[in-house]
Amino acid sequence: MPDLIAQDIQKQLGTAQVLCGVSFELQAGEVLALLGPSGSGKTTLLRSVAGLERPDKGKIEIRGKVVFDAATGFEVPAEQRGLGLVFQSYAIWPHRSVFENVAYGLRLRHVANAEVHQKVGDVLKRLGLDHLAERYAHQLSGGQQQRVALARARVYNPPVLLLDEPLSNLDAKLREDARAWLRELIKQIGNSALYVTHDQTEALAIADRVLLLDKGQIQQEGPPEQIYGEPTSRFSAEFIGSNNCFEGKIAEVSGRRARLAGDGWTLWGTLKAEKSRDAIGTGVVRVESVRLADGAGDHGLKMRLKSALYLGERWEYVLELGDLRLRTWGETSRPAGEYWVSIPPDALWIF
Amino acid sequence: MNRTFRSFAVVTVALVVFGPLGLIIYQSFLSEAFFSPTASPSLGAYQYVLADSGFHSAFGTSLLVSFGMTVIAVPLGSLLAFLLVRTDLPWKKFLEPWLLVPIFLSPVVLAFGYVVAVGPVGFFSLWTKSLLGTIPWRLYSLYGLIVIAGLTHVPHSFLYVSSALRSLDPSVEEAARVAGAGPWRIAATVSLPLVLPSILFSSALIFLLGFELFGLPLVLGDPAGLLVLTTYLYKLTNLLGVPSYHLMAVVALSIVALTFPLVYAQRRMLRTAGRFAVIGGKGQAFRPLPLGALRWPAVGIVLLWLFVTVLLPLIGVALRSVVSQWGERINLAEVLTLDHFRELQNHPNLIRGIINTLLLGGIGGALSVGFYAIIGLAAHRWQSRWVSFLDYLVMLPRALPGLIVGLAFLWVFLFFKPIAPLRTTLFSLWIAYTVVWLAYGLRLISASLLQVKPELEEAARVIGAGQGKVYRDVTLPLIRFGLIGSWLLMFMMFVREYSTGVYLLGPGTEVIGSLIVSLWGTGALDLISALSVIEVASVGLILFIALRLGVRLDA
Repeated sequence: MPDLIAQDIQKQLGTAQVLCGVSFELQAGEVLALLGPSGSGKTTLLRSVAGLERPDKGKIEIRGKVVFDAATGFEVPAEQRGLGLVFQSYAIWPHRSVFENVAYGLRLRHVANAEVHQKVGDVLKRLGLDHLAERYAHQLSGGQQQRVALARARVYNPPVLLLDEPLSNLDAKLREDARAWLRELIKQIGNSALYVTHDQTEALAIADRVLLLDKGQIQQEGPPEQIYGEPTSRFSAEFIGSNNCFEGKIAEVSGRRARLAGDGWTLWGTLKAEKSRDAIGTGVVRVESVRLADGAGDHGLKMRLKSALYLGERWEYVLELGDLRLRTWGETSRPAGEYWVSIPPDALWIF
Repeated sequence: MNRTFRSFAVVTVALVVFGPLGLIIYQSFLSEAFFSPTASPSLGAYQYVLADSGFHSAFGTSLLVSFGMTVIAVPLGSLLAFLLVRTDLPWKKFLEPWLLVPIFLSPVVLAFGYVVAVGPVGFFSLWTKSLLGTIPWRLYSLYGLIVIAGLTHVPHSFLYVSSALRSLDPSVEEAARVAGAGPWRIAATVSLPLVLPSILFSSALIFLLGFELFGLPLVLGDPAGLLVLTTYLYKLTNLLGVPSYHLMAVVALSIVALTFPLVYAQRRMLRTAGRFAVIGGKGQAFRPLPLGALRWPAVGIVLLWLFVTVLLPLIGVALRSVVSQWGERINLAEVLTLDHFRELQNHPNLIRGIINTLLLGGIGGALSVGFYAIIGLAAHRWQSRWVSFLDYLVMLPRALPGLIVGLAFLWVFLFFKPIAPLRTTLFSLWIAYTVVWLAYGLRLISASLLQVKPELEEAARVIGAGQGKVYRDVTLPLIRFGLIGSWLLMFMMFVREYSTGVYLLGPGTEVIGSLIVSLWGTGALDLISALSVIEVASVGLILFIALRLGVRLDA
């Protein structure tokens, strides 16, 4: 039985339809990332699951128990859903010590004092916070606050852990460490988790499965490799990764393959949408899939290198041929001039 | 639980606001006082009042005073706000709390202070006369009343303009500076125009307060034969020998008819006030505008205003309370005495008044803050049409001067027999005070509640706390400092309050403020001065504690 089932969740805020019928399941022990640009409805979806927003339509079940059903008007209030939620701002209560922040959920559940001490002690130790138990929020660093928020949401063993952009308030360096640490921790405790983020790298790194949302609808759903490697829509292709996007005319169609042509160039790619000859198509190719080659090869184009930018760990080259402009990466500085560029047809998606 | 709690809040507020107001309206359409067996529906009271030439002249005087004091208070208050918030005025930190002090002083005490300081035989007048041979001003006159009302209402304008200036992005001023403008030019062309909505808002507020003035015109206008609407109402009490409640109701309603539109105009202005604001948001430290050589004249203006508005009347009151007589050719050092304070002991009602005032301020103030907190929590994060109804409801008492609320509650206690025994207890005063200060108190509470980020409450809910527990464990603890601050502010407001208790005054319900008003009619200046000193000292002590605790006076 899945830990969480959401069916056809719809929500309107003011005149905007924030969620237009989103359904998903969260399996036991699974980490599911809700990924999308701002305004895609991902936070509203999370808050609906938590019971902090009331959807207009749909049904939500937690471990087989209905907690919301718009059809019957049934709604379990947030405080009775038993979930754990980590807020983007952490929401550590400033008037309680770390210990009392974490202990609150247990006290509400009338856990005996000795057990409260033992459980809070355990979770604080596990998160490396045991020496901070008596501190207050303003005495903690951002990373420590984030861990307190996690401890607080976790200590009473909720069936599902909800995380709302938990790393976005950390600075970039800390965020990369926390990413690995967080995934490890969630996997270790075996909790299922719903993880909201707008950061694609974070979603791909942390989740077992990604739900890509845009304008209140699911655009694509699948394991991270599939989301990155096999986009099914133009939105998913362009939203994830660093991309080259360009328009051209479909010159030839052969099965799943098509040839896209423009002013002085022609390229074979994979058709991802129903397109026939002479239609205008958009080519999307990941920057790292564009390669400088030694010779013409099978799919080579001779392009002019306009500029090379130094990015630290790599160089970025900007190449031009007619109206085609491509970016690619390499390891050395290169002088301006003509270079062979190759794009494998599998890596060029035509929408 | 939430539903009942919220309905309770809405119903209670509606009851305490509409009850008294409804009774005034009902009474205005009767031929006599409502308890008279021969009272019948009638428009006679309206005909009488609206035809009365005394009413016409009181109406005209009220209008003039309101207009005049607005013209004085708003420019001065805006200027002081600019100087204190945006420039490198010397002694800023020290001066700032003093600018708000007049708000916490009873107008009737201030008026009395002006009488003994700059009245025809005041200390300061006599001193000036000995220097110049003449007194170049006349306190008991329309312009005397307007100037003093204007000066004492400067803080109201300062309050709103300074808070708007504080949220103004300093870079708009720096841009003017770089372009070559000096500080006065910046104030006139950039800063003040940008906070125009707040300036207009405070103008409407002060114009409104002009119609509610009571202590100042009672003390300063009466000797010159000047009546404003509130003092006209007060004089009406004993005009006809029998309680002319129906006439008083009409006068009260005519005041409300003037103040009510002003309150709603203000509300609309507040809604559009955000339009101009250039909010900085970055909160970066900025360098105040240097006044240069003008800094000393500028600080001179502030000190002069402080001297005339606070020190002069307070010194007058203090001096008057320790001398047995005064006048020309009397050496004050020879007539020093503490007899006036000793004399208080011979008047049990005055002693009761002092005790009642402190009880009402301390315990009553705390209960009122509790009541406001309940209303505030009920409206907190409640998305419903009822919230805007509640909003409008709490605005209503702002259109009701304390004098009228006191009168209305007197009638409520006379009208509803089951609660009649409460009239002679402090409860009657407490409920009237609570209604008079409803809007102010709720603003204090909601200012605190606004500081509570919604996630802090949501976190508790998700963890498993019901609404009641969220209030108990998160919301209330987070605003506890705000509640203490609100209590201290209400304490001061309740101690300085004078007009609300005027009609409720009786054995058991004496308070310092209304005792001063009633003693003023008998000319017992010795007792008034002693009571005034005690009142000012109590307020001063609480103010000192509040400032030490870091309570913001400009909430």
